[in-house]
Amino acid sequence: MARSRRVRTRPPHLVLVTLAIAIASSTTTVEAAAGFSVTPEQATLRGNFARLQLVVGKTNANGKRDDRSIDLTRKARYTSLTPDIVAVNSTGELLARSNGQAQVEVVVEGETRYVTVAVSQVTGTPVIGFKEQVGPILSKHGCNMGACHASQYGKGGFKLSVFGFDPANDRRAIVRDHHQRRVSLVRPEGSLFLRKPTMQVPHSGGHRLGRNSVDHDILVAWLLGGAGGPESKAPKVTGLQVFPTRHVGPAGTEQQLRVVARYSDKTTRDVTAWAKYDSMDEAILDVAPTGLVTASDRGQASVMIRFEGQAQIAMFVTPFAKSVSLAGWKNNNFVDELAVAKFRELAIAPSGLCGDDAFIRRAYIDATGTLPTPGETRDFLASPRPDKRQRLIDELLGLTGDPKRDRFNDRYAAWWTLKWSDLIRNSSNKLGEQGMWALHNWIRESFRTNKPFDRFVTELVTAKGSIYSSGPANYFRINSNANDLTESTAQLFLGIRLECAKCHHHPFEKYSQGDYQGFAAFFRSVGTKSSEEFGLFGRESVVVVKPGSTAKATPLDGEPVEHPLDLRIPLAKWLTAGNNDFFSRNVVNRYMSYLLGRGLVEPVDDLRSTNPPTNVALMDALSKHLVENKFNLKVLLRAIMSSRLYQLSSQPTKANVGDSRFYSHFRVKRMAAEPLLDAVDVATGVPTKFKSLPLGTRAIELPDAGDFYSNYFLKTFAKPKRASVCECERSSDENLTQALHTLNGDTVAGKVASKNGRVAKLLAAKTGHEAIVEELYLATLSRRPTADEQSACREFLKQSPSPKECYEDLLWALINSKQFLFVR
Amino acid sequence: MFCQRVGQTTLAILIGLCFPAAAGAQYPMLMSLKPAAAQVGQASEHTITSRYNLYGAYQVLVSGQGVTAEVIPVPKPKDGKTPNLTSLKLRFTIAADALPGVRDFRLATPRGASTVGQIVIVRDKVTIETGSNNTAEKAQAVTLPTTLCGAVEGAEDVDVFRFKAKKGQPLSFHVRSQRLQDRIHDLQSHIDPILTLRTAGGTTLAASDNYFFADPFLATTAPADGDYLLEIRDVRFKGNGYWQYVIESHGRPFIETVYPLAVARGKDVPVVPIGHHVAVGSQARLNLPADTTAGFKTLQLRLGPSSTNPVQVVVSSLPTTVETPQENNDLKSAQTITLPSTLSGRIEADSDLDCFAFQAKKGEKYTFEVMARRAGSALDPHLRILDGKGKQLSLNDDHNRLKRLTQDSRIENFSVPADGKYIVEIRDVHLRGGRRYVYAIRTTRATPYFEILLDTDKTQLSPGTNGVIFVRAERHNGFSGGISLAATGLPAGVTAHGGRILPDGQDGCMILTTAADAKPSIANITVTGTEIQTAKSPAGPPLTHVARSMQETYMPGGGRNHWPVEAHAVNVGGPSDLRSVTLSTQAVTLKPGGSATIDVSFQRAPGFTKNVTLDMLFRHLSTVYGNSLPKGVSIDSTASKTLITGKESKGKIVLKAAKDAPPVEKQQASIMANVSINFVMKATYSGLPVLITVAKP
Repeated sequence: MARSRRVRTRPPHLVLVTLAIAIASSTTTVEAAAGFSVTPEQATLRGNFARLQLVVGKTNANGKRDDRSIDLTRKARYTSLTPDIVAVNSTGELLARSNGQAQVEVVVEGETRYVTVAVSQVTGTPVIGFKEQVGPILSKHGCNMGACHASQYGKGGFKLSVFGFDPANDRRAIVRDHHQRRVSLVRPEGSLFLRKPTMQVPHSGGHRLGRNSVDHDILVAWLLGGAGGPESKAPKVTGLQVFPTRHVGPAGTEQQLRVVARYSDKTTRDVTAWAKYDSMDEAILDVAPTGLVTASDRGQASVMIRFEGQAQIAMFVTPFAKSVSLAGWKNNNFVDELAVAKFRELAIAPSGLCGDDAFIRRAYIDATGTLPTPGETRDFLASPRPDKRQRLIDELLGLTGDPKRDRFNDRYAAWWTLKWSDLIRNSSNKLGEQGMWALHNWIRESFRTNKPFDRFVTELVTAKGSIYSSGPANYFRINSNANDLTESTAQLFLGIRLECAKCHHHPFEKYSQGDYQGFAAFFRSVGTKSSEEFGLFGRESVVVVKPGSTAKATPLDGEPVEHPLDLRIPLAKWLTAGNNDFFSRNVVNRYMSYLLGRGLVEPVDDLRSTNPPTNVALMDALSKHLVENKFNLKVLLRAIMSSRLYQLSSQPTKANVGDSRFYSHFRVKRMAAEPLLDAVDVATGVPTKFKSLPLGTRAIELPDAGDFYSNYFLKTFAKPKRASVCECERSSDENLTQALHTLNGDTVAGKVASKNGRVAKLLAAKTGHEAIVEELYLATLSRRPTADEQSACREFLKQSPSPKECYEDLLWALINSKQFLFVR
Repeated sequence: MFCQRVGQTTLAILIGLCFPAAAGAQYPMLMSLKPAAAQVGQASEHTITSRYNLYGAYQVLVSGQGVTAEVIPVPKPKDGKTPNLTSLKLRFTIAADALPGVRDFRLATPRGASTVGQIVIVRDKVTIETGSNNTAEKAQAVTLPTTLCGAVEGAEDVDVFRFKAKKGQPLSFHVRSQRLQDRIHDLQSHIDPILTLRTAGGTTLAASDNYFFADPFLATTAPADGDYLLEIRDVRFKGNGYWQYVIESHGRPFIETVYPLAVARGKDVPVVPIGHHVAVGSQARLNLPADTTAGFKTLQLRLGPSSTNPVQVVVSSLPTTVETPQENNDLKSAQTITLPSTLSGRIEADSDLDCFAFQAKKGEKYTFEVMARRAGSALDPHLRILDGKGKQLSLNDDHNRLKRLTQDSRIENFSVPADGKYIVEIRDVHLRGGRRYVYAIRTTRATPYFEILLDTDKTQLSPGTNGVIFVRAERHNGFSGGISLAATGLPAGVTAHGGRILPDGQDGCMILTTAADAKPSIANITVTGTEIQTAKSPAGPPLTHVARSMQETYMPGGGRNHWPVEAHAVNVGGPSDLRSVTLSTQAVTLKPGGSATIDVSFQRAPGFTKNVTLDMLFRHLSTVYGNSLPKGVSIDSTASKTLITGKESKGKIVLKAAKDAPPVEKQQASIMANVSINFVMKATYSGLPVLITVAKP
């Protein structure tokens, strides 16, 4: 198509070239009526060794590039029409030679484009900036990685700072250490600093630098120029612009990236050659050091691009098929609209709706951590109402407005209290028994009353008062110093892992030590005093803000703030603001993960900009929904649970069996330890007695950490010790020990055979065979047995020594079935 | 004041029966009263339980007006032996006009005065927990209004009550439980109650954990006609037979505090009741007599035809000021006040702070005392004095007074550095605010004065012996004079040797002597300290202060703490373990660097063979709570013989004076013979006063 069209074949007038310099280096694109385009159309190269990457792409029928444009960068042929001013290599990379105006010819399958290039500031004695040029070379070639010279003691006596966060010391290490043995300013090429990475002498780090490379020349020029140190006034990199940021194409697609750095002095520079590239999913994407990305498999993945403390991503989508039919899909709400858009983009056909029996079990467990009783299941299955699923969701969440129907509030509160107690790390090990209960009761009351989540977080991070009387004050005992508070708060409520930035610039983020300390300053004036607010015998700590602090603190990505009384007040305001995307996204992502088995971002609490959501539009829409509904978590749960997406069958189809990230079928989840034990209790009719708690207290109601309750079942199924704010502390993995315990352990066996158990009571009531079988199925799997299953049970009864053994064995088998152990 | 009522019949029966066999110093420790509440206008029976023997108890002292009690006689033992009785019936009689609230009471026994117990006087009938109400299914049916009394008596105990309510019916549930344990002498584990209101189906409607200290309070309205469940338990599901609770359950207004908090006496002033189920716009009027004592006062408000629950106000003898409605959050908008005065205000909202400006001259001295938390306000005040430019000159959050830490702030003896404008700034330390966050700031000229307290709250005497009361002074604003001590209200047959606290000294002691023929009796006494004036003293009458009595309380783990009680009781019991303590001399003169020996002998009761330790310092473990020895005088522990084993009855105290000990004349001290009761308790006997003189070098 492109070949058949006329394209501009003449170089533009020189005056136009000159005018274009003003906007050079920006990501402007040479668009043609059809065919291909080159980005940028005009380029500026400033200074010696300046480089610039051209990106060539096919245009669509409208003559525009879009995210499906085929990359032609490697197919194009490049010729510099003025090679003494600018050189171009076969991959489309320009290199400044001398000052002047130049043109580069780009040819693809007979069609030609011209890129105008202005080169300036090239001198005979180049001035090489340490921060601007030397540092990026050290980073690009991995010299300052933790595994190399930035390890604790360096390598071979040569130690650099991690990712170059301390350029002054790095320059000293290169130039001054060991009596200047690493450099020769007279004969730079002979410097050990260059001979090692070029493998002219042995280098345990291997070959890192080509002797004839531009980077080598830059380093030589730096040494020749006196090996100057970092200038304090040198402009800082403030952001990265990546082109393209998104690409959709079939497996095997290639795409060259172009990276432009923005500096604090408003200048820009093409840093494609010095940026670092990492595939965030190597099963799907390969990326070369030059920025060439190859999609090797179907799916969606991103490339992380880093340069001088800044990070960005480029997203690549590789559809599963050429086309998809979504005719049977019907949107329940906005969640579905955005989910189906992703299905369409990826060409994935989702599974059908799950059955009512699967739905009731799934909804009960996900919303309240509790199995439905046989009676509740019967009622639901028997209901002819077309809106019965929505009614059930509203009842489980207590959103009907009718006190008689909103009867699950306590179960809901218990279940979500468990979730957040794990994350906040409520534990008597740290808080003592009294503090642990105070925090537990506050969390539980918060969820029982459906406290808006922004208020919940505000109360927590601004908590004060007696650790016995004021539950949230215990947050400041769990996290007893500003650093712990900083890291926990950022991870829990922003999904940002800041701990790396305590010691050095975050490797995958833009956050520096300065950012870390600015955030930590919010908590530095919090202390404790002794008091008797709880009564004479309390002798408890009281969390207070020490008076007189005038320090400033800085929110992430924000401006410094101050407060005359308590810096945590502006912190909470910023943290929970509706326009703080991290806050709302963090909540949304966690709740998507809880309900659908996987977050839009994984790991769930790692929302850095370089770890994008699988469905950005859905993340944004749910976040907006949450903010518009004043951080009402029940409304968020309802939005997700009401969606068709949530109600899909867990049975994958041939078309979507390869998908594990886009919710095309419901992700089967192992039940967590506590609801599983409660489910065993309900199924068998024999409640578990926990230490120091009255009989009837359910496992999801346990207030303390895992190691407080000497319950082997809970331990085996990974009830966490609440040692970490990471969601990962509660492992959802299945293992052999768990299987052996339910199969052979005494927990299940004892309950199944209990004299007070379900089987015993059914027999005592002289219940008929089929009714018993149905009751056991309903009590365990929340469904009726099929005709085949009833038939098999009749046969089993005949073969059993006694009805009692028959039904106990049946119950044991049901409890050990995957349908029981998993949410499906 | 305690008022006394002697159950005459009981006394007649018990005295003759018990006293001959009353040897032993184990005075009873009251642990719980069941039920813990009694209704006004009614007489009711209650069971008191104790550690150590209650047998022979013959009199009950109850604090305040309108409440009396008597011991219900127990049958005479058939074998003639003294039974070990740790449970006893009492009959409380509550006058119709008795002020509801908590009263202290104490029993007189042959083995001494008991520790303090508490009873709650309530307006509604008392319903006693049946004990088998641990689940919703077994919930005990009750009718509101009522006062629910029960105990969280064991681990995992949950008490559930079922009641009916109409839609929109106001409901309030006020729990007193942990607060009733403050005065239990030796309770190692304390309740932390939590209250939950549920529908009949079990769904939680409201819950309260800690409202008044650790005690819950819950106010709501019934959402529909029907049955409701009220559940009380310990937060941790712990339990203890001594953990009694009282739940005042009704729908009347429940008042927490008033605004303005400070009221002038002798004037008719309006106050706004602040609390629950109070009609919008409600107002009460107070017209306190002009001779009302300034300070905290508990009273009931009249709201329409009925009176409210008791609330505290601050009665002021100074001019009163009320915070104006205009903003006063900073230096510029500070409200102008004049000193001295009592100012009432309120921290209206979170992060609110109030500023008041006053003019003062260089050298003037003022004391600023916040009265808030102690008066029932939710405020935990934080007080600062700033100069006219906002520079902080003084700050106080909490202050200690008479051995107690109070959340209320006080800046004492603030010395004005220069003529000019100054700012009083007050806020909640936790930046909270709201209707309940009222305060009064009393500002007075700072002048020297002192306060004294008694350690402990009771003195146990037996005929022919002596007892000792240690008195500690807290000096303020440069007061450095001596303080003489005197007691009034002593039981018949008891005389006091009033000692003194030396100038700049901290402690003094009084020694009480019981006549050999003294009859069993108990009385609350008043100890007054009076400034010993000298030629340098300011003109005018001497300063005086009536001592506050502190009950010793043993903390979990064994530490000793104190809790203020309303009176100090002196009890004359029966003959005890030691029948006398005799000293070789009552006057000792020491030269600086010299020493003197006092031989001590005592008479043991027949069969009493426990060790006895001698001391002149009142101490527990390594902490000294009372030391009336002159400065520079101490016990030579090496030369003294203070541990007297079971077969012995003689020891000695050797006193030594430091070389630089200042001269002093006839400072009264006590030589004590201590008999251990348990790890933390001991019975103390004293010899007659020892007057110590340190001669001039």
